[in-house]
This record gives sequence, structure tokens and C-alpha cells, in this order.
Amino acid sequence: MLADTWYLFNKYVKISMRMPLWSLFSLIQPLLWLFIFGSLFNYFASLPGFPAETYIDYFVPGVLIMTVLFGSSWAGVSLLREISSGTVDKMLVSPASRSAIVLSRVLHSAVQAVIQAFIVLVAAWLMGANTSLNPIYIFLGLFVILLLGIAFAALSNGLAIKLQREEPLVIMGNLMTLPLMFFSSAMVPEQFMPEWIHTIASVNPIQYATSAVRAALSVEPDMTTFLTGLGVTAAFAIATLYWAISAFKSIRD
Amino acid sequence: MISIKGLNKIYTNGTKAVDQLSLEITEGEILALLGPNGAGKSSTIKILTTLSGFDDGEVSIAGYNVDVEPDKVRQSIGYVAQETGVDFFLTGRENLVLQGHLYRLNKKEINLRIEELCEYFELSDALDNLVSSYSGGMRRKLDIATALIHKPKILFLDEPTLGLDTQSRQSLWKYIRKLNGELGLTILLTTHYLEEADKLSNRVAIIDKGQIKVIDKPEALKDQIRGDVVSLQFDKPADKNQIANGLGTNDFVKDSMWEGDKLHLYVSNGATSIPRLIENCNELKADVSNVSYSRPTLDDVFIKYTGSSIDAQEDGGEEKWWEKWAGKGGGGKWAKKWQQENQETDSSDASEWSAEEAAEWHKNKQWSEEDAKSWEDNKQWSAEESAAWHAEKSAPDKQSNDKNEQQWTKEQADQWHKDKQWSEDEKADWENNKQWSAEESAAWHAAQAEQSAEPVEPQDSAKAEKSEDQQQWTDEQTEAWHKNKQWSEEESANWANNKQWSAKEAAAWHANKSASAENQSNEKQADADWSKNNDQAWDKKSQWQGSKK
Repeated sequence: MLADTWYLFNKYVKISMRMPLWSLFSLIQPLLWLFIFGSLFNYFASLPGFPAETYIDYFVPGVLIMTVLFGSSWAGVSLLREISSGTVDKMLVSPASRSAIVLSRVLHSAVQAVIQAFIVLVAAWLMGANTSLNPIYIFLGLFVILLLGIAFAALSNGLAIKLQREEPLVIMGNLMTLPLMFFSSAMVPEQFMPEWIHTIASVNPIQYATSAVRAALSVEPDMTTFLTGLGVTAAFAIATLYWAISAFKSIRD
Repeated sequence: MISIKGLNKIYTNGTKAVDQLSLEITEGEILALLGPNGAGKSSTIKILTTLSGFDDGEVSIAGYNVDVEPDKVRQSIGYVAQETGVDFFLTGRENLVLQGHLYRLNKKEINLRIEELCEYFELSDALDNLVSSYSGGMRRKLDIATALIHKPKILFLDEPTLGLDTQSRQSLWKYIRKLNGELGLTILLTTHYLEEADKLSNRVAIIDKGQIKVIDKPEALKDQIRGDVVSLQFDKPADKNQIANGLGTNDFVKDSMWEGDKLHLYVSNGATSIPRLIENCNELKADVSNVSYSRPTLDDVFIKYTGSSIDAQEDGGEEKWWEKWAGKGGGGKWAKKWQQENQETDSSDASEWSAEEAAEWHKNKQWSEEDAKSWEDNKQWSAEESAAWHAEKSAPDKQSNDKNEQQWTKEQADQWHKDKQWSEDEKADWENNKQWSAEESAAWHAAQAEQSAEPVEPQDSAKAEKSEDQQQWTDEQTEAWHKNKQWSEEESANWANNKQWSAKEAAAWHANKSASAENQSNEKQADADWSKNNDQAWDKKSQWQGSKK
């Protein structure tokens, strides 16, 4: 299974490398947000009780989460394309592991999202954002982002198999990401949230991932928050991956 | 090699895709599953290749039960799906390497195999190009090569030549035959191309509604229908039984089969029986609008076992506007006709004909491209011929219109002057009929333009005279018109008759003149030429729809 995953993962990487422009294209949106929100909400930082010195300092982990959400939530679309082009059938008639087919796709999307997130992080530094520069903490932050990417790519792939059509998949992708992001502390600190949003946030995996990334990238890293967030995100990723693989195995009707 | 017993597959929406299907395929055989779309061909193949489950039955491939040991089955089969299974964004080599890895081959084995396969399929030149730059035929070849990377014993081909042009199709057949002949591969292919089943397979299984209707060698199937097939297209036949029984009294008619308003008669000799059959139809007062005859093809076998033509089933139901627009409905029909006729010419007199008739065919080609024009020609011709035929037959119940009309126009010139005051009364009436005269005049002008455009031959000079006559007559239009009005109302029915009749007579005329073989093959070629284009367009369309699904 691991060998199959590796070969298939290589295939997707090759395909992405052949259209690097397209991969860069999906960076435009997070960069825009970084720029727009960074300027738009600048005065937030002067509110009493705001946990960071400037808004952009606060927002960097949020925009990284946004990058990975929007980068991996469309992973299922290309699965549908592969199904209709016949390449999935080609894999399925071979003795290749069925789990490897899903795993390679999900890993590819997640890795792509992490690379994008790193580019956004560099852009944030260039814009003067103040984060931890310790490579270990940056690695830990990006690791959480990888896990979140795996989770959402798996969700999207699983939904693609269940829905079988592109349009509802895109709608579901939007539904999954946008509200969940606003129900987290990606953009607004927890202490500014109304009570009911706070309640929702406390069961929102994106909230845990955001706190973990923020805890890792903070100038004063907070390992307790990080480990809680990491644990929840990892559990979420494993659950969604399991669901996507079992959905894929049931493709045989 | 493949053994299927009592296979059943019902989809969740209740459709029975495969219905108690049993089949044995021996080693080294090429078996074609022939059937229209939705007959259960692909469902069967998907079950055999472990892609799909089934409800009931027993399937064993190369000695392994698909339910118990799917991975063993997968190692022993290669599968080429209807859709291109190769990755467009990878090169040919990368596709082959990936496939080799998925079949657990090591690097050395893979490279060796790639060399062999590339030589075999003549892919070496394009091996390191992206598949997206390949032609359809090359993609299909690469697709088959990837399916063979692990040296399977059995190869499944699902509609292998769908969407390919004739040349690629025939080249692919060559490879498929070679794979079977040289490597001893057992091949199960599905197709809805009759020619493909006929030419490629050792045995053909006709499948319809998930059931195998008949299975035998293609020759044996065609031998069941000896002689020729005459197809009569009726115009709203009143009593089908009466017609079939009436025509069946001829001792040369061996069997008959209705397909919609079309009656297929299996006769000993098509050319000589058509006049008799037409006569019989006239006696039975059944209007025949089209006659054709051909040697029996697999489609006739198909009709015999399923009650309808393979493409009639495929078109099934209402034609959607976009299909009409894209020529799909017609395309199917034409594709079929082309298939059928291509088959005939290929198998019998193709070389003879092409050697003799090449020049003439080229002449006719431009004619066939100007289809509409040629139709106009034919119409004129049939009108002329109808007059001649009428004169010959001197049938009392039918008027020879052309002559009548001409005499009458000369007589009535004076009378029109008399009737001038009457024309004031009739002004309103004239206004009503104006649109009719407009149409007619347009038609007349068109006809005249065409006549004058034609090169001068003895026949045509006569025509030219005639047209001058007509011009005089048009100068005295109104008077002629008044008479014409009556006449035209009476004759519109007659004209419609004549149109049909000309179709009938065309066949009779062809038979009499015994130039029929030549003419038909010319027309055939023209049709084929045209329908090939249409066929391609249709294939593209269906491909597009497939991918949309």
C-alpha cells in the first residue's frame, strides 16, 4: 500500500509540476486577503484586550488556515474528473491498493496546500508580520496545516464519491469552509465572539487547528494549546481519511 | 478461460442490466459482445473485470472466482475501458511505468516490457511526449499497451474503436488480431459496430436487454439468412399482416420481418424480385416510399433476434433538440448505413468497382457534396421520367400532367382575355393564392436556373426549349395561373403520389436498366462519404456526452 501510494503520489506531483502557474494561481486569493484584511482591520489591534500588537500579527495564522482550507477543499473535483476520464477504473482493475489511491490524492493536495501556506507566510513576513522565526516552531505550525489539509482533502474526496457530481461538490466545499472559518478565531479573537459563536467554535476542528498554529507561530509559543490543537486536528484528519477510503471502496456498485 | 453462469445484476434504480447471462469463452478466442448501448455489455465487462459487483451467479476468470480472489483475477487480465484510461498530463512512458508499478513489476521488468510494447505498437517515437499531444488512435494504442504491461492472459476491450476514424479503426483491428494470433491472448470485446464484430471475432454473442440472444460464428449467423434482404419502407401501412402475407405468397420470399414501418424481406434474389414486390404492393394499395436491397449483414441477424435494428434501439425515444442539432439522431442512422454498406463493398466488389469507377466516383463526389442540389436534380428527373413512364404505360386512371398542362395553356390564352372582368371578382381569391404562386415561382426560377447552368447535352437542349416554352407561358401568367390553380389543387395530391411513385419507379428503373449495381455503388460511396463525416461528428458528440456523465 505504501509503495502504491508513493507511485501515485509521484504521478500527481508530476502533473502539478507541469502546471506550476495553475498552482500559483490559487495563491492569489490568500495573498489578497492578507493584504486586504491586514489593512481593513488594522484598528482592531487598538481595541482593549486585543491579543496582538498589530492586526496582521494576529491574522497570519488565520490566513494560513484559510490558504489550506481553500486549497484542499476542491481536491474532490479532480477525482471526479479522473473517474470520468477512466483513469480511476484503470487503477481499480490493477491490484493496486484501494486505500493508496485515496491516500495519494489526499497527501498530494495537503502537501500542495502546505507549500502554498509557506509562501503566504513568507509574504506575511515581507509585509512586516511578527511571528516566531524558530524553524522548529514553524515546522510544527506547518505540520498542523498539513493535517488540516489532509482532513479537508479527504472530506472533499469522500464527498465527491458520495455526490458524484461537480456542482453540489463545489457548493458543499463552500459550505464546509467559509462558515467554519468564521466560527473560529482565524480572524476575530475568541474574547470578541458572542457566546453562541464561541460555543460552536469549541466543537469546530478549524478552531483547534487555528489555535495550534497560532500557539506555534506566536512569539511566545504555547505548547499546551498547541498539543491540544494538534491532537484534535490529527483525530479529525484520521476520521475523515477513514471515511473517504471506505467511501471509495464502496464505489464498486 | 472465462466462465459465467446465471449472472444477474440489478441496479439500485431497478433496471436489470444483466439477466441470467451464461457464457463460456475458451482460451485463445476472440468473442464479441454485440449490442446497442444499454444492452448490458459494459455492465458485464465491469463485473468480469472486478470493477462492479453482481447480485447472483458465478463468474470465474482464468480459474479464479472474481468474488473470492479479485486480486488474482486482476493480475491475469488487462482492461481497456471505453474512456481513455491513460493520463493526459503524463508522457506515454510515464503512463506505462506507473502501470507497471501498480502491477508490482520491478524497474528492470518494466523497462524491458516498455521496449517490447513500444516496438509492438509502434509508439517509440512519441513515447516521451505528453499523451495530450497524441491522436485518438495513438491514445488507444497506448491504452492497450498499458493494459498489457503485466502480460495478462485475457484482454477486455470495451468499445475499443469508439470515436476513432476509419483508418485508426482498421489499424487497431490489425493489432487486436495480432495480439490474438501471435500472443494467443483471449479477447473479449464489446462493440455496437457490426463490422467490427464481423471482422474481428471468432464468435459473436448478440446481447439485448441483458440477455444473450444468440451466440455463434459470424458466418454461421449470416448463413441463417441466405440470399438478399429487400427492405420496403411503407408510408403509413394500413394492415401490416395483410402486406406481409400478401408479399409472402411469392415463392421467392423466404421470410419477412417488420421494423417500424419498414418491412425486411429475405429473398433469393433482390434485383429480380423488387419489380414483382412493387407490383404486389400496388395491388395491395400500400404506398412504398423507399426500396433498398442488400446482402444480409449482422444487422439483419440482429433484427431477426431482437426485432429491431441495432441503431434503432440505440436512438431510442425522443430525439433531443441538441442531438438533432448536432446530427446525432441522423448520425446514428447514417453511421449504421455506412457501416453496412462499407461492409458490403469491402467484402464483395470493392476493388473491382473502385478500379473501374474511380473517375466517375470523383465526378459524383462533388455532386454528393451538393446534396440539396442533387436532390433537386433528381426531382426534376423523376418528373420527366414520370411523364415518359405514364406515356408508356398509358395508364387510363392517371393523367399525363405535363402534356395536359401544355395543351391547355395554349387553349386558354384567349379565354383569359374573356375572363378579365371575372378576375376583378376574384381579386380576393387571387390574393389568397398569391403565396402559393410565390412559392411556385421560386421553385420554377430555381429549376430554370439549374437547367441553364447545366452543360449542354442533347437531353438538355430539349429541356432548354421546354423552358423557353414555359417562359412564354409565364408572360401570359395570370391566365395560366387561373387554370393552374384548379389544376394545382387537384394535382397536389397527384404530385405527392408522383413523388412516392418516383421513388418506387427509381427502384424499378434501376432494376430494368440493370445499371443498378453501378449506380447504387456510386450512391453508396457518396452516402458513405457523407455519413462518415456525420459519423465522426456524432462520435465526438457522444464522447462529449460520455465525459459529461
